Amino acid sequence: MATTETFRCMMCGHEYQEQVERGEDKERSCPKCRSNSIRHLRGAGKK
Amino acid sequence: MTQPDEYQMGLSSRKAIYIPFPQAVPCSYILDMEHCLGNNPIACGKCQDVCEKQAINYDDADEVITREVGAIIVAIGLDVYDPTEMDEYGYTRYDNVITSMEFERLICAGGPTAGHFVRPGDSQRPKRIGFVQCVGSRNPKIGRPWCSNICCMNTVKDTLLLADHYPDVENVVYYQDIRAFGKSFEDMFQRSKEAGTRYVRGLPGDVEENPTNGNLLVTVENTTSGKLERHELDMLVLSVGVEPPKDLAKISGLLTLSKTSDGFLMESHPKLKPVDAPTRGVYFAGFCESPKDIKDSVCQAGAAASRAGALLNAGKITIEAITSQIDAESCTKCGVCARVCPYGAIQWKKGEVAVVIEAACAGCGACGAACQFGSITMRHFTDAQLVAQVRAIMAEKPKEKVMVFACNWCSYAGGDMAGISRIQYPATNRVMRTMCSARVSEDMVLEAFRVGAPIVLVSGCHYADCHYINANRQTVQRVQRLWNKLEKAGVRPERLQLEWISAAEGQKFAQVMKQMEELRQTVTDEEIAHAMEALKPKPKKKPKPKAEPAAAAAP
Repeated sequence: MATTETFRCMMCGHEYQEQVERGEDKERSCPKCRSNSIRHLRGAGKK
Repeated sequence: MTQPDEYQMGLSSRKAIYIPFPQAVPCSYILDMEHCLGNNPIACGKCQDVCEKQAINYDDADEVITREVGAIIVAIGLDVYDPTEMDEYGYTRYDNVITSMEFERLICAGGPTAGHFVRPGDSQRPKRIGFVQCVGSRNPKIGRPWCSNICCMNTVKDTLLLADHYPDVENVVYYQDIRAFGKSFEDMFQRSKEAGTRYVRGLPGDVEENPTNGNLLVTVENTTSGKLERHELDMLVLSVGVEPPKDLAKISGLLTLSKTSDGFLMESHPKLKPVDAPTRGVYFAGFCESPKDIKDSVCQAGAAASRAGALLNAGKITIEAITSQIDAESCTKCGVCARVCPYGAIQWKKGEVAVVIEAACAGCGACGAACQFGSITMRHFTDAQLVAQVRAIMAEKPKEKVMVFACNWCSYAGGDMAGISRIQYPATNRVMRTMCSARVSEDMVLEAFRVGAPIVLVSGCHYADCHYINANRQTVQRVQRLWNKLEKAGVRPERLQLEWISAAEGQKFAQVMKQMEELRQTVTDEEIAHAMEALKPKPKKKPKPKAEPAAAAAP
């Protein structure tokens, strides 16, 4: 089951949402600046 | 009792007692108890009647046999892609669309048609045969971006076989790229073309069946000529890719192995230890590690057997000098260390003190960083040593420094790469090495802020490159917790950064250091002072003494 989660880049401040599968093991990087400092803020709902 | 024969891809049938395939070793019959009628109570029993050796025992059952071994070679093979989901090729709709595996059975002398190549729809010999490459390979849209490695040469071999058996057959191969990179492979590819096989660069967009004769109409954009072409074929063969076996998750969990992003098993090192698993004593052979042909599989199997032999014959093993030690007295028996250990090297049972299996410990330090009670000591990388390093680094002019924690294998080596490549970057960073980024505990990061660090960077290997299976996932969780803690304490969480830098990414290392320096310049003296004060460790509450039992207190 996928959920929509909110992430914030701690380098550039870019905030974005992404579908996350349960148990997903994925390296995250900011879609804007490619930094790996991605903070998981909160879930926005199930899909 | 008959069942579809799995070996013949369901193109013929077998009985409930059968030899799995002609070259089976041992070449003996097996009973398919799921479909046998002769069990409990015996309803058939014909095989038992005719077996002179009395070798049939209906009550025989599977059993688990326990063996103690010194090395394990994982060679569990592959699964073949099921093209059902790629409806554009009509595999489920048209009888004369088959997979390359089904083709193998149809053209094999030991196959269901004894090698007489006919199409399944009407048992007529096809005259025009198309092959579609990369079905289930090199296709990120269906989650299979990898090249299956074997399909191109398998198709080239099939076209040569057809040309040899049936010179009047016309072959068309639809492809993206033909990858003929092995010994004599290019020669085979040229021979296939000389034998009349037409290679069309482009994959079919649509396949339709002519209902009157069962022929297939294939629409394809020939990307070499830029024209749309329609071909009428008697049969279409889907050159299906391969995928990791479905049982791989079980095996990888059992042996604490890690997987690459495409789902195959990850080797310890792609160049220096290509057959070793990150878990010592475990080796790979064949497809489970990555798609490869027979020759490469045989090479890898030989290498794995040699590696296992060397380990078993050495008589002794050398263990890591950097391993963890658990202090039984202060251990609270919580079991966190056992849960975070990527190697399963910590034995723990509820209510018992955890124990480190030193031969299995690789020394990542994830357990030491996760232990909240200081009960774990990492040899050569103790908490006291690391905190002392942080304090020493920040002893003078801390405001002008960026505290960088770098893992030994990737980030630290990335810094080396930047250096030997003469890439310029600000000199304000101070790099402190730990074996893995997972060794960096919350307290070490907070200590850096307490002693005045404006910026702290934790850096490690990329996910796929983690030298300790997946220990760096612990780093991510820890940094997430630290961001929350910093925010709660009124410290700007952006002052803590996380980056994955590989040993080859000297350029990235330098770029990250530049970014850290830019970030450092935004941190004010007030912010640093506030963090130093706000993150001071709170005095630990003394545990309340337990009340003495009434009976003991009584005189």
